[in-house]
Amino acid sequence: MKPSFEWVRVKAVERLADKTYLLGYERPDSARSAAPGQFCMISPPEGKSSFFLPRPFSYFRTDGRARVDILFRTFGKATRLMASLRPGERIGEFGPLGNSFTMPGRAEHAILLGGGIGLPPMAMLAGRLAGAGVARIDLIYGELEGARVVKLAATLPENVRLHVATEDGVVGHRGRVTEIFAPMFAKCDRPPAVYACGPNPMMAAVASMITPEAVEFYQASCEQYMACGRGICQGCVIPVWNGDETVYMRCCTEGPVFNGFEVAWTHV
Amino acid sequence: MDPRLKVRALGLEFQNPVLVASGTFGYGDEYYDVMPFSELGALVTKTITREVRKGNPPPRIVETDSGMLNSIGLANVGLEKFLAEKLPWIAEHAGAARVIVNVAGFSVEEFIEVASVAGGAAGVDALEVNLGCPNVKAGYVHFGADPDSVRQVVSGVRAQVDVPLIAKLTPNVTDIAALAGAAVEAGADALSLINTIPGMKIDVERRKPTIAMGFGGLSGPAVRPVGVACVYKVYQQMVSMDHPVPIVGIGGICSAEHALEYIMAGASLVQVGTASFVHPQAARQVIEGLAEWCEQHGVKNISELVGAAHKV
Ligand SMILES: Cc1cc2nc3c(=O)[nH]c(=O)nc-3n(C[C@H](O)[C@H](O)[C@H](O)COP(=O)(O)OP(=O)(O)OC[C@H]3O[C@@H](n4cnc5c(N)ncnc54)[C@H](O)[C@@H]3O)c2cc1C
Ligand SMILES: Cc1cc2nc3c(=O)[nH]c(=O)nc-3n(C[C@H](O)[C@H](O)[C@H](O)COP(=O)(O)O)c2cc1C
Ligand code: FES
Repeated sequence: MKPSFEWVRVKAVERLADKTYLLGYERPDSARSAAPGQFCMISPPEGKSSFFLPRPFSYFRTDGRARVDILFRTFGKATRLMASLRPGERIGEFGPLGNSFTMPGRAEHAILLGGGIGLPPMAMLAGRLAGAGVARIDLIYGELEGARVVKLAATLPENVRLHVATEDGVVGHRGRVTEIFAPMFAKCDRPPAVYACGPNPMMAAVASMITPEAVEFYQASCEQYMACGRGICQGCVIPVWNGDETVYMRCCTEGPVFNGFEVAWTHV
Repeated sequence: MDPRLKVRALGLEFQNPVLVASGTFGYGDEYYDVMPFSELGALVTKTITREVRKGNPPPRIVETDSGMLNSIGLANVGLEKFLAEKLPWIAEHAGAARVIVNVAGFSVEEFIEVASVAGGAAGVDALEVNLGCPNVKAGYVHFGADPDSVRQVVSGVRAQVDVPLIAKLTPNVTDIAALAGAAVEAGADALSLINTIPGMKIDVERRKPTIAMGFGGLSGPAVRPVGVACVYKVYQQMVSMDHPVPIVGIGGICSAEHALEYIMAGASLVQVGTASFVHPQAARQVIEGLAEWCEQHGVKNISELVGAAHKV
């Protein structure tokens, strides 16, 4: 599906947790074709110019027909404006953009790590993996504060095992996602497929805890400032190892999903 | 095609005066399914240098009030790959749109080499030389800052190529009109202005510039008044010259009204840049808006409006 631009009407904006909202709209093209890991660029309603460039957001949920949900957290101008949108207002959607996660080939076990607002693509992926019949799916979801935890259990397929970690310990394990991941990974007798999306230090830590031989693959979904979302401006590059050198890959087109062993985590 | 928007400039016919700016529309293919450049007056491609360039470390861009900063570092596929892989596709899909290739070099010699090869390639209607590029042999001062460098590059390229030559000027100079004069005397067939303006944003939490290289080039609506003023000034300079050349107005154009500001200040053609990031079909909106404006105001051809703001 080629990406396209369309003005769409907001159906709902719902607060799910502290600073965390769900934005729902209808766009059949995206709902039908968006794959986990792909994202779209959202522009503000015309005339509401409180921010200028469109902003990238991962698809969180689609119903396969028309409805698209974006899960977002408020940081600055764009996300604050998005939180104040009312049903009926028109926003621009340019998508689906970027590559997507690979479905496991051999692995019967998938481990997904979502740190903070890295959760949305992980949640969507968990649903797809379940639909594809992957036998065991562990979704490890971490937040700094319990107040920010999105209640996911009801929306995930039954066979997805959800593990929550918060650094304040208010919900789930007190600590970080990697502390749940380490013992889980140690117990794997066959190489699992590992996926992560979250802060760079989290994704780098995962890369340092595993080896390419011990997993089917490690895919990390990266973030970078973006302007065009379409490979044009060269603004969104991520350093990736190519032998002893780093090369720059565009997060919006060659990514956002990269081989987590190849990203030059020390340079991002 | 709307006859009211048809423009003749540089010895070429343009189906409309709306072009897309270098570096903001790639090589035409990336946006093609959303905004085919064949609808435009012309596609101006990303600056091409002799070698492939990796570009600057990230972060390279950041939004600022009414605009953005970029420090891409002229990342591009390099001349060879451009000619082999990008240009044939562009030429095949151009339709009635013109193809303008933007070139640069880090020395006068490299400038001339790249321009002469690109200028001789099939499917290229004109060249735009990016004088905002730093001159490595002259302490990284950009070519466009010094009338002598402008003359050397423009006359050197002029001697090697037959296609029309547009000199792209930067506004980061004391007297843009003097540099415009130098470019025209050296043989430029048109002038395009403006390129970006140096700017900086500081991330106060990190206590560092947000952009890895520190400075970035400001573009978008924030620079429009600067661009319009530069075009106005250079148009006055052109009027006083024996052989005035057309001006291509660039900087913060998002709508037909913005394009009209440039045209009335003296631009024969305009380029839409950063606005394409905000809305990939921004250039189409500008074209449609110009046609509508001509309709409403009884303007038979858009060229009638060029320099209208100067008339007493
Ligand atoms: C591929 C991709 C998918 C994304 N998916 C989601 C999602 O599903 N949900 C969600 O809430 N967010 C997502 N984001 C992040 C989201 O785009 C930013 O939070 C948003 O752009 C912030 O805009 P703002 O105007 O609110 O904040 P701004 O005012 O732009 O910035 C607020 C703060 O965030 C920092 N910042 C903003 N954008 C970035 C960035 N891209 N990289 C690093 N730092 C940044 C700024 O430095 C600043 O400190 C995604 C980003 C990418 C690249
Ligand atoms: C991301 C980005 C990359 C650019 N790259 C180039 C370039 O390679 N060569 C060039 O001559 N101008 C380049 N420019 C400058 C634009 O062509 C244009 O002159 C400038 O952005 C002002 O117009 P605008 O405000 O409409 O964007 C670039 C601008 C941006 C924002
Ligand atoms: S956002 Fe422009 S190249 Fe990726």
